[in-house]
Amino acid sequence: MTSQPGPVLRMSYLAASIAGVAFFVLSVAWLGVWPARKLAEQARLTGPEHPLALTASEVRGRAVYAREGCAYCHSQQVRFTDADIARFGAPTMAWETRGDTPHMMGTRRIGPDLARVSGTRSQDWHLTHLYAPRSVVPASVMPAYRHLFQGAPDQPGQSARDLVAYLETLGRVRDLAWPGGEAPAEVVHPARARRTGEVPELQADGDAALGAMLYAGHCAACHGASGIGDGPGAVGLRPRPTNLALHSYSQERVAEVLWNGVAGTAMPAWRDRSIEELSALAAHLQRISVPGVPADPLRADQIRPTDEERDLGGRIYAANCAQCHGAEGAGDGSAAIDLPVAPTNFTRQTPMFDEALRALRNGIDGTPMAPWGSRLSGDELTAVAHYVREFYGGRR
Amino acid sequence: MALGSPSPASPALVESRLVQAHGLAALATLLVSVTFGIIIALQLWVPDLGAGTPWLSWGRLRYAHTQGIMLGWLANAFFAFLYHAVPRLTGRPVTSPQLGRWLFALWNIAVMLPGWVLVLAGVSQPLEWAEFPLVVDAVVLVGVVMAVIQFVPPFFTRGLDSLYVSSWYVIGGLVFTALAYPMGNIVPEFVPGAAGAAFSGLWIHDAVGLFVTPMALAIIYYVIPAVTRKPIFSHFLSMLGFWLLFFLYPLNGTHHYVLSVIPMEAQVTAITASALLGVTVIIVVANLLLSLHGSGVLAEDHGLRFVVMATIFYLVVSIQGSLQAFMSVNAFVHFTDWVIGHSHLAMLGFATFAAAGGLAHAWPHIPGARYNPRAMTWAYWLLLGGLTTMVVDLTIAGLVEGQLWQMGAPWTASLEAARPYWIVRTLSAVPIAGGFIAFLVGLTTGPRTDSGAGVAS
Ligand code: HEC
Ligand code: HEC
Ligand code: HEC
Repeated sequence: MTSQPGPVLRMSYLAASIAGVAFFVLSVAWLGVWPARKLAEQARLTGPEHPLALTASEVRGRAVYAREGCAYCHSQQVRFTDADIARFGAPTMAWETRGDTPHMMGTRRIGPDLARVSGTRSQDWHLTHLYAPRSVVPASVMPAYRHLFQGAPDQPGQSARDLVAYLETLGRVRDLAWPGGEAPAEVVHPARARRTGEVPELQADGDAALGAMLYAGHCAACHGASGIGDGPGAVGLRPRPTNLALHSYSQERVAEVLWNGVAGTAMPAWRDRSIEELSALAAHLQRISVPGVPADPLRADQIRPTDEERDLGGRIYAANCAQCHGAEGAGDGSAAIDLPVAPTNFTRQTPMFDEALRALRNGIDGTPMAPWGSRLSGDELTAVAHYVREFYGGRR
Repeated sequence: MALGSPSPASPALVESRLVQAHGLAALATLLVSVTFGIIIALQLWVPDLGAGTPWLSWGRLRYAHTQGIMLGWLANAFFAFLYHAVPRLTGRPVTSPQLGRWLFALWNIAVMLPGWVLVLAGVSQPLEWAEFPLVVDAVVLVGVVMAVIQFVPPFFTRGLDSLYVSSWYVIGGLVFTALAYPMGNIVPEFVPGAAGAAFSGLWIHDAVGLFVTPMALAIIYYVIPAVTRKPIFSHFLSMLGFWLLFFLYPLNGTHHYVLSVIPMEAQVTAITASALLGVTVIIVVANLLLSLHGSGVLAEDHGLRFVVMATIFYLVVSIQGSLQAFMSVNAFVHFTDWVIGHSHLAMLGFATFAAAGGLAHAWPHIPGARYNPRAMTWAYWLLLGGLTTMVVDLTIAGLVEGQLWQMGAPWTASLEAARPYWIVRTLSAVPIAGGFIAFLVGLTTGPRTDSGAGVAS
């Protein structure tokens, strides 16, 4: 034994220390600094010159997202793979995240990617979902963020509002940078509600038993087990989930609602379901709508309008309602296009008489449909309620 | 220059109290971290557990879980081992017992405690393996520098004439970590977006590859010859392995972002490095297993037994890692539970078994410490059973999830399919937690060692 490490030995220790330093420098230069410069260059060449900065509220929302670990269940990067692009939209470019410090690209997806989530869901859906995820998506495993609320989904605290504001920025810049020029990205999110768009035809003989199962698993949360709009998720939603038992829908309309959702409301689209499943849901819907009164709601309804009522209804309708609901009741009035929620197309769906009257009296909270109870007399309300119902099925 | 097995140092050189203190702190932080892990595993199928209580929410506990495993359990266990091994490798005491007491206090009272409290209170950074906030990062950095000062100089001041592979790993690992830690924990706070992710990717891999792995290998390279009393099989392979690992590990980081916007050249570099790493690990592991000289996989000595299993896990997890870096495989398994299985195989399999082996080996050398071999046997089997169940389960879960995502199935379908696997994974925590408790029992009950010199292993 010597009292000093041999020169070779000491050299080797020195070499080990130098290895630590040298390989570190090499790796950081090669895989950190160099890519960073390439990415900056790429961002400069492809990105908009003056991207939208986040507002103070959105910045606070981002901090909530960071501290709650949302990024550990949700990535924020659509990868360059077919499966990703098909499900989430255009792959994430360098410039899109150039303001994100620290980045939250994520490496695990327990929930879906959120890089393109802006515009896919309504505000009330987000709030209800954050407050109690399983009240709107029964199979969800997302944590409930009740601590961001004051006791109810429609009583968000500042953090919850900030968080939703932040969510609405994810993918927004991309949309703004190429308005309309990114068709695939626009339409791709399976739950994104759309106003228009091709709708596939559903089978007329859907499997109602399968439909009932799917309904219980996915729809009852909002529309209630029996379809009367009293599911646990309904509490915080505006407009409220439709009372399906008091409406009739043409098959065409059901297909449209399931494929496109109802834009401007919490009603999601269900485009990730097969045609067979959607047809099954349609069959189930026909069963629960107007229990005991299947085929023709107009005939079954005891109350029939008199001729005077028809005249009165027509006049009121033309003066007050046509600009939104359209002269022929097809929801295509001149003002319709600017409304956040499309006015009802009465030719393809109709409420029961009482339900129409109720909607008229109280309006529909969360939509541009205002209450008419104070503006029209009782007779006028009755008359116009009859009138709109007679558009259904091409009767008028 | 001879290749020897580490020689027993005179007990006066070894700070036995610090071995013991770090060992017990390691197990205490381990049990807390495992508890965090069990809660978040449960929450994946009982999602309303803890709802409404911010600090019990999944994301925050997830942060606390991994930071606890790495900085609480593994770092403490490594420190305990270093206090045992460095004097034996160098024939010199560590730099200063006083410094040691400060390091112990700093690490546990100024890093772990505030780190956990802050993360659970919502002060954190959303960066993997770097969730403790910047204030705590600064303290960690001070701690790492203190560790370098404590453990590295003895190698240079005076050494034995034998060369130990362990020494290189200790020196290289500590030096590298002192540099990589700020790079991974601080740089992404200032470099935005995908560029920040490039740095994060490096750190995710450096944390495992250049802090945990060198320390674990230092233990393995130490314990095998110390127990078998025979030198490492091939000095040449040891050296080759060391240099290749230190060259390749740092170049792996970008494989955490394959098929992302990070430049393709960087991705390809990382994928190539990952493949070569797999080959290197085969060399390293072969050298280690050949060094057993027929002691067998299930050695009598618990330290050796844990360490041998760690070596086998190291081989499996590395080959798996090389495989999943390839684009075609990565496109399928990335983002799924497969990767969670992989990281448990690395941290709970390889690293934890090595750390446990290091503690089990060092413990009976502490004068007056208790040691209970039966409990250690229980610990070994419970951990082995629990870990294997968990990794197999998560790997299958990942394949199922990947398949459903490729098919374009509704997202909730992947949740429903994962549920039974998530339940099994939670149940696998029973033997794992039991194993750790048995390990604690093993170090705190049983006959006391000779309070004079410590027993030979
Ligand atoms: C434990 C994992 C987990 C965490 C943590 C988590 N989520 Fe989720 N999240 C999910 C799952 C699973 C889904 C899919 C089911 C659903 O819609 O609830 C989801 C869905 C979502 C959706 C709907 C996305 C879509 O396109 O359908 C949004 C938005 C969302 N989460 C936001 C958040 C936010 C914001 C946070 C943090 C405050 C968060 N999540 C935290 C698991 C998680
Ligand atoms: C997140 C809650 C939610 C879920 C889940 C949900 N809906 Fe809806 N749904 C709504 C809301 C809100 C409306 C009301 C839209 C409005 O006022 O136009 C609605 C409206 C409808 C309508 C009527 C559309 C109209 O124009 O009147 C139908 C039909 C419908 N949903 C069917 C379904 C079916 C079938 C499912 C399950 C596959 C389902 N919904 C799931 C919230 C939900
Ligand atoms: C500002 C545009 C606007 C005007 C004017 C308007 N509506 Fe509406 N109406 C809507 C919108 C938007 C909805 C909600 C659609 C939804 O919930 O999806 C609606 C819904 C309704 C419904 C409920 C349909 C259902 O399926 O439950 C009835 C009934 C109705 N309107 C009748 C009328 C009548 C009658 C008038 C005239 C007195 C009128 N509306 C005027 C926009 C308008």
